[in-house]
Amino acid sequence: MPKKVHVQTTINGETVEFLCEPRQSLLEVLRDELGMTGAKEGCNNGNCGACSVILDGRLVNSCIVLGVETEGKTVETVEGLAEPGKLHPIQEIFLEDAALQCGICTPGFIVATKALLDKNPNPTEYEVRYWLAGNLCRCTGYDKIVRAVLDSAQIMSSEVGA
Amino acid sequence: MPEYSVVGRRLPRVDALEKVTGAAKYGADVHPPGMLYGKIVRSEYPHAKILHIDTTEAELLPGVRAIITQADVESGRKVFASDKVLYSGEPIAAVAATDSDIADEAAGLIKIEYERLPVVQNVMEAIQPTAPRLHSDETKDGPSRRGIRNRLKQLSLDESEGSSEEIRTLETELETLEEDVYYNISAETHTEIGDVEKGFAESDIVVENTYTIPRVHQTYMEPHVSVASADSSGKVTVWASTQGPFAIRSGIAGTLGIPLGKINVIPTIMGGGFGGRFGVTMTHVPAVLLSQKTGRPVRVQVTRKEEFLDGRPAPGCVIKMKTGATKSGGILACQALAFWDSGAVSGASIGSTIRVRGVYKIPNLKVDAYGVYTNKSGTTAYRAPGAPQAIFAAESQLDEIARRIGMDPVEFRLKNMREEGDMIPGGSQEPVIGYKETLKAVADAAGWWNRDKSHNQGWGVAVGDWTNGCGPGGVYVSIHEDGSARIFHGSMDITGTDTAITQIVAEILTLPYERVTITRGDTDSAPYATGSGGSVVTFTMGNTAKLAAEDTRRRILELAAERLNTEIDNFELRDGKIFVNGADSPKSISLGELAAFSLNTRGGPIVGKGSFAQQSSTPALAAQIAKVEVDAETGRIKVLKLVSSQDVGFAINPMAVEGQIEGGTVQGYAWAIMEEMQYDQNGNVNPGLVDYRVPTSADLPTVESVIVEVPAPNGPFGAKGVGEPPITPTLATMSNAVVDAVGVRVNDLPIKPEKIVAALHNNGN
Repeated sequence: MPKKVHVQTTINGETVEFLCEPRQSLLEVLRDELGMTGAKEGCNNGNCGACSVILDGRLVNSCIVLGVETEGKTVETVEGLAEPGKLHPIQEIFLEDAALQCGICTPGFIVATKALLDKNPNPTEYEVRYWLAGNLCRCTGYDKIVRAVLDSAQIMSSEVGA
Repeated sequence: MPEYSVVGRRLPRVDALEKVTGAAKYGADVHPPGMLYGKIVRSEYPHAKILHIDTTEAELLPGVRAIITQADVESGRKVFASDKVLYSGEPIAAVAATDSDIADEAAGLIKIEYERLPVVQNVMEAIQPTAPRLHSDETKDGPSRRGIRNRLKQLSLDESEGSSEEIRTLETELETLEEDVYYNISAETHTEIGDVEKGFAESDIVVENTYTIPRVHQTYMEPHVSVASADSSGKVTVWASTQGPFAIRSGIAGTLGIPLGKINVIPTIMGGGFGGRFGVTMTHVPAVLLSQKTGRPVRVQVTRKEEFLDGRPAPGCVIKMKTGATKSGGILACQALAFWDSGAVSGASIGSTIRVRGVYKIPNLKVDAYGVYTNKSGTTAYRAPGAPQAIFAAESQLDEIARRIGMDPVEFRLKNMREEGDMIPGGSQEPVIGYKETLKAVADAAGWWNRDKSHNQGWGVAVGDWTNGCGPGGVYVSIHEDGSARIFHGSMDITGTDTAITQIVAEILTLPYERVTITRGDTDSAPYATGSGGSVVTFTMGNTAKLAAEDTRRRILELAAERLNTEIDNFELRDGKIFVNGADSPKSISLGELAAFSLNTRGGPIVGKGSFAQQSSTPALAAQIAKVEVDAETGRIKVLKLVSSQDVGFAINPMAVEGQIEGGTVQGYAWAIMEEMQYDQNGNVNPGLVDYRVPTSADLPTVESVIVEVPAPNGPFGAKGVGEPPITPTLATMSNAVVDAVGVRVNDLPIKPEKIVAALHNNGN
């Protein structure tokens, strides 16, 4: 039997320790070992973005990152965005702008949007469309998602400025 | 139009909160204690005899709890292939193990010995006498032989009409028409109205072409998944991601012989369906069998690759089509012969071939359609099943005719479009419809009438029609003691239908949207509901919910009359309160008070029920205009503008309706330009999201949606089904725009850059 590895990492601001097999992906660790099912599996080979998380500030597909690679790093997932009783502005705007339908890609898009706006608080529509090209959505045709990201950027920068 | 306070408003979805936080539970998020992981073992070859299956080594692997094959299934009930496989990916066995890696490893250790058989993947080859046969040697007559046989039958019935000479001539002709016999036919359908030969003879212009439309996958983002748990009493609980929980229940019952009362299907939130998540498919029955054998819950979740190998995608087809018209732009005749690739299983959307008739007055129409077996997985519905394929052929032909006679393609369509009272070829009279309004709306919105274009740019237009289906269902509405309302039902939310139903009930009960909640039950608790597909939900279940809310209102008013000891006619329900008519009387009573009164005096809550007689809505049209630019050197198509209008009857939630129009149009764009499941002698060669490319946000500009509202007399507040129409015209819209840009028509979809380059080269450019 494969020996499990002890990993210590920071997830959504909290120190987390877990045991995982060396071959387990971060997505499997999050979903199966830690019970965090916000990141979704759409393809399990890095093509759809449904499992997007932010690892040390970088947007990654958690299905192609190993659990053991997160040792000593910080992971941000969709579960870490809202505060009790208060949604993150990106979540609020996705909700209001109808930027979701079936919703299985939504956590990935919201995490990808956070990663974009962390780096580039005022992206152009062109930048938004190319940044989100790693996240697939089959329901919306993307337009309402792109609007929601642009609206989020505007609202978040005006909040920062205020 | 009457003033409404809740319907017609751009309200957020009822399920948006749980979806933006990641809290929403989908099929793969279900994890009962002790759960095992299932894995299906699939055929490596598209056509082969199975000589031997050896599970010995796999059984010895630690962590394996069960391996099942057809030998474990009661005789007469087919779950796995046992003697022969007809496509790569066909299920042969299933494994349950303590984790998914052990299940994968065990699946790899099962040794299957095959004897390969000749393979046929192309429909036009499959109908030939030289093709390998998948199911039988039986043949079907082609259209010419059918015509002769029908004439012979007529002659034998009517002695006065026939002459023995004609009979002899026809019999000789029949013998010589050897090539008009088709093999590997899974189904056929034929329609004839008027006399197409006469129509073509009277036409000034006749266009004739063959159109090839590829097999495409619905590519819902959530792969098929279900979790089954069989207990010792024989009760089976199945968590399923499905468009129709009640169909899963009856499907499992039918396949495995379990009584309905012993099966509870708990639907999970569905990660997209588009028609591909109907009925018992890849995961349900194997999960039940594995759970029965191990006594533990088992999750069977397929990979994206398995989706492509063993999903039930939309059928590809070849349509030979001919249309005749006069110089002045009147359509006289239309004939289509279609071969639909049904894969190894009968049942492609062949009945939709009739949709070549479009929304036009066509006096002479002949349609012959065949389903053809090939060594691929079976097919099923994909958003307006069969319509995009048939409409691509028809709307391409109309575009060509308009060009040849020098008539504006929008004007040409408007001239031929049916209006209220016109006969639908092969159907009944048109009810109140909005075909012309919808086409005019898109032309106006797109700037069609004063369109401009630069070099290698072009404009294309096409329309597509669809009529939503119907189905049985029940809804309960009850009033809580605080005056809020609750809806209880069993239909799956697709396209935001829970939101629309909530808006409808809130409107009738004059409650704020936030004071109405909606709950979906499982098949043990909820009233029956038809499956969520065919654009039925907002129409059928919306009507059902409206009737339930009206029943609730009636009960509320009855109770109020009793409570205030007066006549029911004196009351009205307004702002969630009951008022005495005519006076701003202090005699008002809140819904909460009444709900409590009901509990105290009636011994139960206020509950209204509704069910809706099965009937279809009036037809809906989608009309689209695209402006594209084609790079003549690389063949790349860039969309500059894509405008999509649709007659939705009445938009209960305009924001959700726009989402349907935008999403459907983009799916149609992708079918035209990029998507195609490709096959060779070993099976599907592009089973993943890199080789099977679906659109990303970087592929397209904004899709502009235009809502047209020509109310359906029997729709809730006039609403029609909105989900399916927007995909129907886009294949032709894109192709017609490319023709306008660079003068080449690619009739073999998808319109890949290399096809444009090759066609331009052939044109001498």
